[in-house]
This record gives sequence, C-alpha cells and structure tokens, in this order.
Amino acid sequence: MREQVMLDIRHYSKSYGKNNKAVDDISLQVMSGDIYGFIGHNGAGKSTTIRAVVGVLDFSEGEILIDSHSVKDEPIACKQVTAYIPDNPDLYENLTGLQYLNFIADVFGIDTALRKERITEYAALFEITDALGDPIGSYSHGMKQKVAIISALIHKPKLLVLDEPFVGLDPKATFTLKQIMHSMCQEGTAIFFSTHVLDVAEKLCNKIAIIKHGKIIAAGSMEELTQGHSLEETFLEADQ
Amino acid sequence: MKHKSFLLLKVLLLSTGRRNQLKHCADKKKRRRIIGGIVGSVFLYLFLMVYSISVCIGYGYYGLIENAPTMCALIISILSFVLTFLKTNGYLFNFKEYDMLMSLPFRARTIAACKFLYMYLKSLPWYLSISVAMLAGYGFFARPGIAVYLLWLVLSFFLPLIPMLAATFFGFLIAKISAGFRKTNIIQTVLSVAFVLACLSLRFVFEDMLRENKVQQTLQSVSQATDSTARFYPPVGWFTAAVTKLSVPDMLLLAGVSALLFAAVFAIVGSAYRKLNSAIRANAAAKKNRSSTQKQRSAVNAVAFKEFKRFTGSTTYMVNSGIGVILASLFALICCIFGFERIIRLFIHDAPLTVDMLQPAIPFILYFLIGMLATTACSPSLEGKNYWIIQSLPLAKKTVYQGKMLFNLYLTVPFMLFSGICLCVSTKTPLPDTLLYLVLGVVLCAFSTAWGCVCGIRHMRLDWENEVEVIKQGAAVTIYLLPNMLVAMGLTVVSVILGMHMDHKLVAGIFILIAGILALLSYRRVMVLARRSDM
Repeated sequence: MREQVMLDIRHYSKSYGKNNKAVDDISLQVMSGDIYGFIGHNGAGKSTTIRAVVGVLDFSEGEILIDSHSVKDEPIACKQVTAYIPDNPDLYENLTGLQYLNFIADVFGIDTALRKERITEYAALFEITDALGDPIGSYSHGMKQKVAIISALIHKPKLLVLDEPFVGLDPKATFTLKQIMHSMCQEGTAIFFSTHVLDVAEKLCNKIAIIKHGKIIAAGSMEELTQGHSLEETFLEADQ
Repeated sequence: MKHKSFLLLKVLLLSTGRRNQLKHCADKKKRRRIIGGIVGSVFLYLFLMVYSISVCIGYGYYGLIENAPTMCALIISILSFVLTFLKTNGYLFNFKEYDMLMSLPFRARTIAACKFLYMYLKSLPWYLSISVAMLAGYGFFARPGIAVYLLWLVLSFFLPLIPMLAATFFGFLIAKISAGFRKTNIIQTVLSVAFVLACLSLRFVFEDMLRENKVQQTLQSVSQATDSTARFYPPVGWFTAAVTKLSVPDMLLLAGVSALLFAAVFAIVGSAYRKLNSAIRANAAAKKNRSSTQKQRSAVNAVAFKEFKRFTGSTTYMVNSGIGVILASLFALICCIFGFERIIRLFIHDAPLTVDMLQPAIPFILYFLIGMLATTACSPSLEGKNYWIIQSLPLAKKTVYQGKMLFNLYLTVPFMLFSGICLCVSTKTPLPDTLLYLVLGVVLCAFSTAWGCVCGIRHMRLDWENEVEVIKQGAAVTIYLLPNMLVAMGLTVVSVILGMHMDHKLVAGIFILIAGILALLSYRRVMVLARRSDM
C-alpha cells in the first residue's frame, strides 16, 4: 500500500490570551497506516492540538491539512474523512445509543444495510448490544465512550483522532479497541491519539511525539526515539 | 441522503422531546415527571389561550375587533423578541455538545441555523396558542371569510421569525463584544441587561409617540392604527394587511423578509461562529486569573459561595435571575431622581391614585421585580451532572438547601433594602412606615427564597441538555414564576385598597405577619424535603 500523508500539521501555534501560548510552532506528519501517539503532561497542549485538527478550535497561526485539504479552508472535506473521539464525550443523553449511532450514520450517508452490519459488529465487540435501546443518560462513562467509539468507526474514516481513548474503558474494551486500531492501520487508516498510558503507547504506536509546554521536544518512529530503552524512560529523560 | 440540516434539527428535537424520553424511560417516577411536565405545559397553553381570547372579547365588546390582528402580531413579536434574546446565549454559544457537533461534517452556519430553528420550533406552540386563540376571538366577532383563517394560521408561523432573528443577531453581537474581555460572562450580562433596559425605554418612547398621534381616536380606524404601528415595526403592518385586506404583497413581504433575514443572519453568524466559540472558551483557558486568599467558611456559607460562582459563571443564569434586582434598583433610583409621581404616571396614566395611596404597595411593587425569579427555583436542577459532588460530600441536604437559600437572600435583600429606601424617600413615606415596608420587603424576599426552593426541589431535573431548559423552561421555574407574579400584582392592588381604608402601618403589619408565616411554612417544607432526600 502506498503511504500517503493523512495529517500534516505545519507550524501550528495557539495562544489563549496575549501571554499564554498553549501550543508553540509544532509540525508533524501522520501517514496512512500510522498509529501516532501524542504524549505529554496535563496541560502540555495535546487537546488544544487535537481540537484544532478536528476543526473544533479556531486558530490563526500555522496550517493543518487532512488528506491534503486545509482544515481552515475546507473544513467539511476534512471532517468527511475524519472521526474524533473526545476524552469525555458529550453525547445527547436523551437519545438511545442506537438513535445516536443512526444520526451519525445519516450524517455520513451510510446506507441502512451497511450501518446495520457495522453497528451489529462493533456493538457485539464492545458488548453493548443489549444497552443500545436505552437512553445514553443511563450509561456509565465507559458505555458512553464505547458508543462514541462505535460512532467514530461506523463510517470507516481515513483519519481517526482520539483524545485519551482508553480512559474509562474496561480491560476487555481496551483490548478490543487496540485490536480495532491495529486492523484499521493495516487497512491504511491513519490514527493520531493522545494518551498518558505509556505502556499502551509503546505497544501500539509506530510513531510518537512528546509535547511539553506547547512545544514538541521529541518526535519520530518508536525505534528512533527509544533506542532500546522503554518509552517511559525516554519520556522522563526528554521531560527533564 | 437526507439533508444534513434536517438530520441535525431532527436529532436536536428528539434529544429533548418528551415523547422520546417517555418512549425509552422505564423509571416510573421519571415517567410521572415527564407526564406531569406535558400536563403542565398544556395548562399553560390553555391559560395563554384564555388570556388571549379575553383580550379579543374586550376588543369585540368595545367595537375594536379590527385591531385584534395588530394586537396579536404585536404580542407575538414582543414576546418572541424578549424570550429569544434571553436564551440566545445558552442555545447558540458555548453549549456542551459543541465539540461533538463541530467535529462532524456540518458547516458552522448549519449548526447555528439548526440551533436557531430548534429554538423557534420549541417556542412555536406558545406563539400559536396566542395566535389561534386570538383568531378564534376575531372570528367570533368579525365573521371573516375562510381565507382569513387560512392566511392567519399560515402567517402565524412567520410572525415570530423576524423578532427572533433580530434578538439572535443582537445576542450574537453582544457575545462577540464580550468575547474580547477577560470576564466574558460579566460583560455579556451587563450588555444584555443594558440592552433589555434600552428596549424597555423604547417602549415608553413608542407609547409617547402613539399618544401624540392621538391613538385613542385613531383606534376607531383599523387602517390608521395599523399605519401607526407599522411605521415603527412594519411586519405587524404586513400581517394585519395580509389578514384583513387579503393583501398578497404584504403576505409575500412577511414571508420573504423572514426568509431573507434568516439567510443573512446565519451567513454572518456562521462566518464567525467557530472563532467566537473558540474565543469564549479561550478566556477560560487564558490563565489570567489570580488565586485569591484561602479563607475558611462555614458549610452553609461555602455552599452559598459555590452558588455565587455558579451564578456569575453563566450569562443565561445571571440575566434571567438577576434582571429583577437590577430593574428594581434602577426603578427606585430613577424615582428618587425624577420623582415617584412622574415615573409612576408612566404606568398608571390617569388613574385616580395619589402617591400617598400607593405607599403601602411599595414592598409589593419591588417584590414583583425582585422576587420575579428566585435562584432557588432553578439551582437544585442546575446541579445537573455535578449532583454527585453534593451527594458524595458529608453534607446534610438541609445544609445544601440552606446554602442555596442564603445565596438568594444575599442577592435579593440588599437590593430590596436599597430600592425600598429609595422609593420611601421619593414618596416621602414617614420613618415608621418606611421601617415596616423594609421589614415587609425582607420577609417577602425570605418567602420567595423558601418557596422557590420548595418548587426547585419538588421539580428538580438533573438530566438537562442545556441549562436554558431549567432556567427558562423548567417546571420548577414556571410553577414558581407565573403564580408569584400574578399574586404580586394582586397584592399590589389589594395593599392600595386596604391602605385607603386602614392605617398604612397596620396594613404593613398584617402583610408582614402573613408573609412571615408563609415564609416559615415554606422553609419548613424545604427542611422536610431535605430530610426525605437524605433518607
């Protein structure tokens, strides 16, 4: 499969107020088939970057391209091929899980047969089939996270962006999600996700970027970065 | 593929629709609450219809039924403008599912427009209740042809659109200006309140202009009355001409301008939507705040302080719950500067009432404004998803509700005292009477606080999608607000009548006693409800 740049962040900066630069001139590329981990402390600028990538946060400095489309100038083209799973998904609480998934499938124009097949498949994998008829408001955090994950997978995105995806998931669901991420990456999907769980990042990612105080302090392939050490050691060393 | 706007609008309606909630709810208690909400709404619609028909009957008996279409259009326009302005901020900006919607392939314009249409469709039954009732009254007296009924009904759907779009646009401008400041919420509230006050002042300017034109005489003629109103707000004229003269150009004007304005407003709002929402959120992340000195408080005071921060953290909450105290203070201050008699004449016109006769009504006039919306009526519901914090703390519910009530007292009592003193000075009320009126004012604040809390606890709703749902449309607020306003108006009249036959001090004393007992009973009720929820 030919590698293609799916996410291209060029000199992106974001300031909150005049003196608080949350992200400072970061650049990185995520290719199709990459599982790219974005790690850093709380408040390092991970979510600010991710929210700009998925078109939620406005920015004036730098450029972000998804599948060669500019997030600023062609937001719809970018969002059409992207799926985003926030760290704390705010879903419509009074809709049932199924109603919500159907809404997302409608937005992406997935036909009835295909959506039925995918919802059935993923709901079974995440063991949430029986709960899909209940209102989302009655779900636990983990169950909401599962619905958000299924909604992101339902349209087979070219770029999957996840903000702390493993928070709140049970061990089985964490394993399932990792399996799904692997198989998506083999099919050419680019995955860009933030995490604090370094063990998971180490086992899952082929590329890593470490962000500190809004700046990327280390980035590259896992082998280049760790050079035989553990990711935890590499992270702590880079962090000093 | 279905149109994306339709999909989004459908899901917005579905996510807050009572039918959908009822369909998927197994909890009997919750089902009862939803059904109660539906029944309550039906009662309110009926109440509104009865009021609107009464207006029409009044017009009919005085031979002025031809003015009913104008009046209908005016009532709907004013109501839709004010109500939309007060909730634009909560619905259009900074709503909780913003990230989820913006990450989906929707244009920012589509999201903003769908949020507006959602607001329009949710409030449409209120406006249609007025319109249908007034059409029935008009039909009874004027006996128009079938075409008038049809046109009236169809155009009723367009009537609220222009004022709602105007209110949305002003709300957008205020949000845009406020987003540039550190204290976004405070600036937004100040600007919103200033805008509401400016609109209220326009009402008097408008009324004066109509008076200069001797509207009393022109009311005899439909065309002249329509002309005077239409001069200030053309859509009212278009509606009236469309239904009374079956004027196709006017009908097209109303529909066409509404559509054009919709497109224009959302082209502007849409172009700045992401930037504006990002700016509103950026202020919270700007880290420009200083840590204040740590201070130990009692548990009740700590809850009251939490309530204060919740209050100042939301423009919708501040504008809706705080406008009463601001209006009361301004009214009292203006009376102090320009004289009570001069100001009160703007409201009572040539009614045979003297300042002396109105003195006993001072606490009730102020209570009408200050007690309009007690924060305690919505604060239990406003806990929403944060309810677990209160639940998990080693606090008895009694303490929590005492804290909530204390905050409302902190908010209302100083304003009641200030406004009361201003009004008593401007009416030259004797000192002993002044003191009694101030006591009565404070007791009324205590009553509104405790009664609001009873309503708030009894009709607590934590599963809201948007805080506007509990601040403006919640069952607790509705049950508290409407009867309270009507009773305050009634007591204003009763106190004046009693004051004409009894000593003013005695009148105040009687009311202090009654209001005190009611406040005490309400407080006890709060304590009982608190104990029950502890168990």
